[in-house]
Amino acid sequence: MRVSYYPGCSLEGTAREYGESTEAVCKALGIELEELEDWNCCGATSAHSTNDFLSLALPARNLALAEVIGLDLVVPCAACYQRLKVAEKKLADNPLPEFSYQGKVKVKHLVDFCAQEEVLRQVKEGVKKPLAGLKVACYYGCLVVRPPKITDAANYEDPQNMDELMKAVGAESVNWSYKTDCCGGSLVLSRPDVVRKLIGKLLDMAREAGAECLVTCCPMCQSNLDTGERGLARETGRDYRMPVFYFTELLGLALGLPGAEGWLKRHLVSPRELLSAKGLL
Amino acid sequence: MTTSDMIGSVMVVGGGIGGIQAALDLAESGYKVYLVEESPAIGGRMAQLDKTFPTNDCSMCILSPKLVECGRHPNIELLTYSQLLDIEGEPGNFKAKVLKRSRYIDPKKCTGCGECTQACPVEVMSEFDQGLGTRKAIYRPYAQAFPSTFTIDKKDRPPCVQTCPAGVNVQGYVALISKGKFEEACKLIREELPFPGILGRICPHPCESECRRRLVDEPLAICDLKWFVADKVGTMPPREKKAEKGKKVAIVGSGPAGLTAAYYLALEGFQVTVFEALPVIGGMLFVGIPEYRLPKKILGQETEVLEQLGVEFRLNTRLGKDISLDELFRQDYGAVFIAVGAHRGQRLGVPGEDCAGVVQGADFLRDLNLGNRPKVGTKVAVVGGGNVAIDATRSALRLGAKEVIIVYRRSRAEMPASDEEVEAALAEGAKIQYLVAPVEVIARNGSVEGLRCIRMELGEPDASGRRRPIPVPGSEFTIEVDMVITAIGQVPDLSFLAGSGISLTDRSTVEVDPLTLATSRPGVFAGGDCHTGPGIAIEAVAAGKRATESIRRYLEGEDLRQGRTLEREKSENLREIPEGEARKPRAEMASISLERRTATFDEVRLGFTEDQAVREASRCLECGVCSECLQCVAACKAEAVNHRLGDQLLELQVGSIILAPGYEAFDPKLKGEHGYGRYQNVVTSLEFERILSASGPYQGQVLRPGDKKHPKRIAWIQCVGSRDTSIGNGYCSSVCCMYAIKEAAIAREHRPDLDLTIFYNDIRAFGKGFEAYYENAKKSGIRFVKSIVSGVKELQQSKNLLLTYVADGQVQEEEFDLVVLSVGLCIPPRLRDMAERIGLNLNRYGFCQTDEFESTQSSLPGVFVCGVFQSPKDIPETVMQASAAAAGSSTLLAPARGSLVKEKEYPPERDVSGEPPRIGVFVCHCGINIGGVVDVPEVVEYARTLPNVVCCEENLYTCSQDTQDRMKQQIQELGLNRVVVASCTPRTHEPLFQETIKEAGLNRYLFTMANIRDQCSWVHMREKEAATEKAKDLVRIAVSRSRIAEPLKETALAVTPAALVVGGGVSGMQAALGLAREGFEVHLVEKEKTLGGMARRIFVTLEGGDVQAYLKDLIKKVSEHPSIHVYIGSEVIESSGYVGNFLTKIRTSSGEVVEVKHGAAIVAIGGEEYKPTEYLYGKDPRVMTSLELEEKIANKDKVVLSAKNAVIIQCVGSREEARNYCSRVCCDQAVKCALKLKELNPEMNVYVLYRDIRTYAFKEDYYRKARETGVLFIRYEPEDKPRVQSGDKLRVEVTEPSLGEKVRIEADVLALGAATLPPSDNRAISQIFKASLDENGFFLEAHVKLRPVDFAGDGLFLCGLAHGPKSIEESISQAEAAVSRACTILSKKSIQAGGVVSSVKLIKCNGCGVCELVCPFGAVKLEYNQRLGRKVAVVTEASCKGCGVCAATCPSSAIDLKGFSDSEILEMVDAL
Repeated sequence: MRVSYYPGCSLEGTAREYGESTEAVCKALGIELEELEDWNCCGATSAHSTNDFLSLALPARNLALAEVIGLDLVVPCAACYQRLKVAEKKLADNPLPEFSYQGKVKVKHLVDFCAQEEVLRQVKEGVKKPLAGLKVACYYGCLVVRPPKITDAANYEDPQNMDELMKAVGAESVNWSYKTDCCGGSLVLSRPDVVRKLIGKLLDMAREAGAECLVTCCPMCQSNLDTGERGLARETGRDYRMPVFYFTELLGLALGLPGAEGWLKRHLVSPRELLSAKGLL
Repeated sequence: MTTSDMIGSVMVVGGGIGGIQAALDLAESGYKVYLVEESPAIGGRMAQLDKTFPTNDCSMCILSPKLVECGRHPNIELLTYSQLLDIEGEPGNFKAKVLKRSRYIDPKKCTGCGECTQACPVEVMSEFDQGLGTRKAIYRPYAQAFPSTFTIDKKDRPPCVQTCPAGVNVQGYVALISKGKFEEACKLIREELPFPGILGRICPHPCESECRRRLVDEPLAICDLKWFVADKVGTMPPREKKAEKGKKVAIVGSGPAGLTAAYYLALEGFQVTVFEALPVIGGMLFVGIPEYRLPKKILGQETEVLEQLGVEFRLNTRLGKDISLDELFRQDYGAVFIAVGAHRGQRLGVPGEDCAGVVQGADFLRDLNLGNRPKVGTKVAVVGGGNVAIDATRSALRLGAKEVIIVYRRSRAEMPASDEEVEAALAEGAKIQYLVAPVEVIARNGSVEGLRCIRMELGEPDASGRRRPIPVPGSEFTIEVDMVITAIGQVPDLSFLAGSGISLTDRSTVEVDPLTLATSRPGVFAGGDCHTGPGIAIEAVAAGKRATESIRRYLEGEDLRQGRTLEREKSENLREIPEGEARKPRAEMASISLERRTATFDEVRLGFTEDQAVREASRCLECGVCSECLQCVAACKAEAVNHRLGDQLLELQVGSIILAPGYEAFDPKLKGEHGYGRYQNVVTSLEFERILSASGPYQGQVLRPGDKKHPKRIAWIQCVGSRDTSIGNGYCSSVCCMYAIKEAAIAREHRPDLDLTIFYNDIRAFGKGFEAYYENAKKSGIRFVKSIVSGVKELQQSKNLLLTYVADGQVQEEEFDLVVLSVGLCIPPRLRDMAERIGLNLNRYGFCQTDEFESTQSSLPGVFVCGVFQSPKDIPETVMQASAAAAGSSTLLAPARGSLVKEKEYPPERDVSGEPPRIGVFVCHCGINIGGVVDVPEVVEYARTLPNVVCCEENLYTCSQDTQDRMKQQIQELGLNRVVVASCTPRTHEPLFQETIKEAGLNRYLFTMANIRDQCSWVHMREKEAATEKAKDLVRIAVSRSRIAEPLKETALAVTPAALVVGGGVSGMQAALGLAREGFEVHLVEKEKTLGGMARRIFVTLEGGDVQAYLKDLIKKVSEHPSIHVYIGSEVIESSGYVGNFLTKIRTSSGEVVEVKHGAAIVAIGGEEYKPTEYLYGKDPRVMTSLELEEKIANKDKVVLSAKNAVIIQCVGSREEARNYCSRVCCDQAVKCALKLKELNPEMNVYVLYRDIRTYAFKEDYYRKARETGVLFIRYEPEDKPRVQSGDKLRVEVTEPSLGEKVRIEADVLALGAATLPPSDNRAISQIFKASLDENGFFLEAHVKLRPVDFAGDGLFLCGLAHGPKSIEESISQAEAAVSRACTILSKKSIQAGGVVSSVKLIKCNGCGVCELVCPFGAVKLEYNQRLGRKVAVVTEASCKGCGVCAATCPSSAIDLKGFSDSEILEMVDAL
């Protein structure tokens, strides 16, 4: 299977482990990722809130590039996905003369791509080391499924795709109500007080639901939760010890990919203890 | 249309309370009514509710008598379980097409006893209990349902049944197994398949691949269940044979096809002989399948039944050798069925194939199965991938082969052998080489040394749909083996047919007509493998059955093809898989140990345990709902069940149609943030009604569905699916605020320690008595939080719910145990479809489009509408509107009134006076309802010993038609003059029995009922002996009362066909006009000098309607109508008489007193506007009421229109201690004026200071529009009212409670939403007509829910503001309703009086007048009696309802209630 691939900037910086694990997992599953040549910023930074034209033009250029290849565009970063998806919808009615995009290729988030039947079956068949006994809370954040009229997500209150993937590799995905609540990722610098409250809620509720770790599919969520946890623990006296994974890392682990340990070393909340206890490292 | 073409009947669509009311009104006014209801019973939503607001009456208790009244009305024909398809025609003469769906139950025979539900094994979710409880496939929605006829919920045949070649009723036997009914299950299988033990073991079960359970987890282990139940039950005697037909049939071959045909032909009464070439019975079943899969013992047991049926077997007799076809016909065999199978193995066609050590799989297995022990090699190759290959492999292993390799030319996916078999072979040590084909058998010295093979790859699919194997050049290799078993297929050996006149196909099989299995020679049929080539056993069984039918037809001279088809029925309409159906693993059958498996031929699989089987069977999704297991047929003693009854298409002629199809609750899954459907403890309000209901799924205990624990903290979230444009429902559902308050209040009654919170938007308690109810709820501690809940989260440990909301300017989070979503009222797609079918216009929300001055008239002339389908509303408004719609139909059809109703003729009443009592007693078994507990024969024996009992009988169902006939016959033959029935309950059945004895010439009051079901067998189910004794007691009591029962007289009193209407406002005029149009004379009395009332001060409606134009037109019509006598400036001063015959004095404007006679009266004296004392009203000219503001706007008042700031203060004089009611119309008035001001002067700032904005139903759109237009709505608390100071400008100051900030407005104009007051002459009119007032001075209706336009006294009605505050639209509707109600009296020539009424013993009466005081109907009055010379009580029989209050209250026992006199009561007490 071949698809176009838009990694976005995070996957080359703060979320390098997400990028590496994505590529490794896809390779193991026989999925060829065709990275857009000369891709540019998606506009999720200041551009989309400061310049209306840029908010559309930046993703539009990427979409035009994808359409040249002619394959659906898979995007792992939730923020990139959101910008590209907004552009996909808007351009359908109001095309930009600068970039030719006919709507022939569609934007897919990596989670949704991996959860489609064919890939899911490959994942199931490829499991070498089932994540038996690992209780995970799948956390989608606010950008992957919302707003539904942009994302077309059918089950935007209670998405299941990541849960299905986790079940496919043998993990136990807990039921909880905070899958799509905001983590405050966009307020990290401006309102740390709000962020602490939001991630505190997420961590408390994941724990209440019986989870031992969180699984994410968004670089902002992951880094916000992973970096915030220790400070929050200091402040509240609650030692969460709740590792925050990218779902691709856990897929990689279950598929027995060699790079897994290297990715996990980048985490601030070390998953070593948890994974060792489960016999997974 | 000429009036002679007019049809005097009306179709009412919808059997909820609206439809019922409309039907009753029309039926009582002389029209025939068809009441069409989609569900199996009438009652609608109201039946599902627990209590009703604001009186907390039990909904079912007040509804139930209406159901009975409607259901039993001679002029109402119930068409339940029916659907209106289409209408054509014109007003007065429509043709309506109605689909009457089959209940599969004959309603004439069904007695409603309910035994069928006990027998039914299929349980599905109960719609009536909103999915919180279950019901059976044969069901009645609820206990009190009318009609009480049961219904079978039958969808299409499920895929499992459709897939089974033999049509075995899979769902049926699986359902029976799930209930532990093994014998019944086994019997059901044997209907279609005589050999369940055999097929249960060997069938490759195509049914399982179609089983819809696979969509949830894995298909059901259907085949294993069949195996289980066959073994569990063992052999069964065959069902009874038909009489011998004296015709002979020969069957050639005793395989599954032959045996099946033999079995069914023998049952048909034919003499069957089976000719079998082999020395054993069973064909391939015997010689093809090894012992470890199908023990010979089982085969023997199951085929034994054929011998019991008299089938003769001739073994070792080969056709063509030992006997010929011609010979068979010569021997008088009328028909022959050839089912010789396909036993000859196909050759590989490779070199070396003929050497020793190469055997055919079929030969190898035959040899083995005939009791020999064929020699096997050490290393064996088996060629082929079918079941024969696998059987040979596994047998070879058991016979000592060290290694067995299966060589198959395609891959696993294409392998025809069943998965289980392949797995078992692998487990036993076999090896499989895929994509390999043999090219040569290598032999040395004549024996096998190896198999030379070539590798294959898969190419394009071939004709079989499987990918074609293509040899890979140069890939040859050799497998060293010393034996080769070939199993690549078999062909039939049909050499014996040469020259017999029977054609063969190219494939060397017998050529037959696939539909009939007839060969080219008449009388010869063929089926099974010899026709199809090697197939599966169940297909052979199917062929045997097909041949049976053909042979029967052939021998009986019938057409072979007629009515038969090879096509599969559709199975599209299947039960939906319940959301959240839990995954349950498929049961795994145990096997014997692997050591035993490879060393012996013992049966490998051990069968299910009972527990396993029941659990596995319970996984069935019951796709067809009814499984057609026919247990109900067996259980029904009345023989009412008939699974073949079809739907009926009716075409009815009706003059008019009333649509009252109701609504559906909003589906809260569309508002995902509340978690409904995901969180166990979030329920809808309708579900909560069922939770509260004593007859509900939890027997009235307040439990939460998730864990059945008592919740402590319950929250209601309002406006779910209402006032929400995001989901397209911009309107207010009108009823949710009140039902939520009621639910909270009732929950509190159930458990006083509950914490109850209602999160609301505005509390819309605008109806009569609602505000006080709301205030009481607040006082009782129910917490009201004005906030929209933004999200609901579930806690995973406790399954409690966290609600987020904003209050006091802060985000709050609060935990609750249970959350109730107050879901709105919606029009479901099926109603929108109906509207489209009949061409009806709907409004933007899918409700029926109507005009505000004619709210019951749909866009189709002659088609009227009422209830929620017109607009969201509660019960009394629905009832009112239903009567109004009935008036619409009735007015239209007035010329045809009475043309289609039937007057029943009765024989003259027999005079029984002077006869000694001759009592007939009928004791009912009620199926097993009574008979299963009470010893009925003993009660009958006992009753026979009672004095005056002439005959006593027991009946299976006393209410059945044949028993009714019997009862009449006994009355006549034995000269019975009293009848006692001991049965269910008088509630539903007393009128039926009274009717019966009346038809036999007895006075109906000579009937007495003993309630030995509801009050005996049902309550003493476990004390049979004591129950029998009690039944005897009850019968004795009834008999002793019967002994002294007297016939009661009913007299017909003539009715004056004229009406009095008091009040000349909109409602009075509308009522007068309505009655006049129905053909009655009307006296309209108005105290003012002009007609018009309050409406003269209203110019437009909120919706924009021109009130003055409407009013002008109305006045003109009223004034010009020849049947209306208008008395202006006049007043009613006195009224006397009773229903049908009133006499009223009117003082006219000239002072003259006129006396008018009338049969009914309508009070419509309107209301008044409150003159405020607050907010400088009357002191400052800039302060006015909202009505005055409207007048000024209409007159383009400069001051008003040029104002910079205009303020409207709401709830002035309403919702106060003194007037604790909502004036209902002021919010519309404020919104209307605000919008108008903004329209005329967009620069103006308009402020509305309010407590709750109560723009219910579609008025909500205007409230939204006002906000969008910029009108500022500022809330205030009643404890902190706005303050107004006079000055240069009016200074208005108000505190906004959620901000906690003061707002100051410099107003130029201040309008006050002043209260609506009751009319000032309310007390006078109340006295004249003895009509009560409520605590606020408005007139009090007979029942706030179900009789909203009737007074307690018969013949008196009310409408308009006199009843309570309401809009013009509602006043018109209520006036029309009053017309309809009055017509039920005026349209009759006479009314019946007497019967069970009070009678006064004048001698005893001392004229104290207590009776007059207590009589709720004004039926008892003190009058001067000339003879006695004093005042005594006089009963107006026409007004008396027989309630008995006067009799019970009379201090001197001077009043008796006829039929319930003291002597009768005491006689009964003495008998006890």
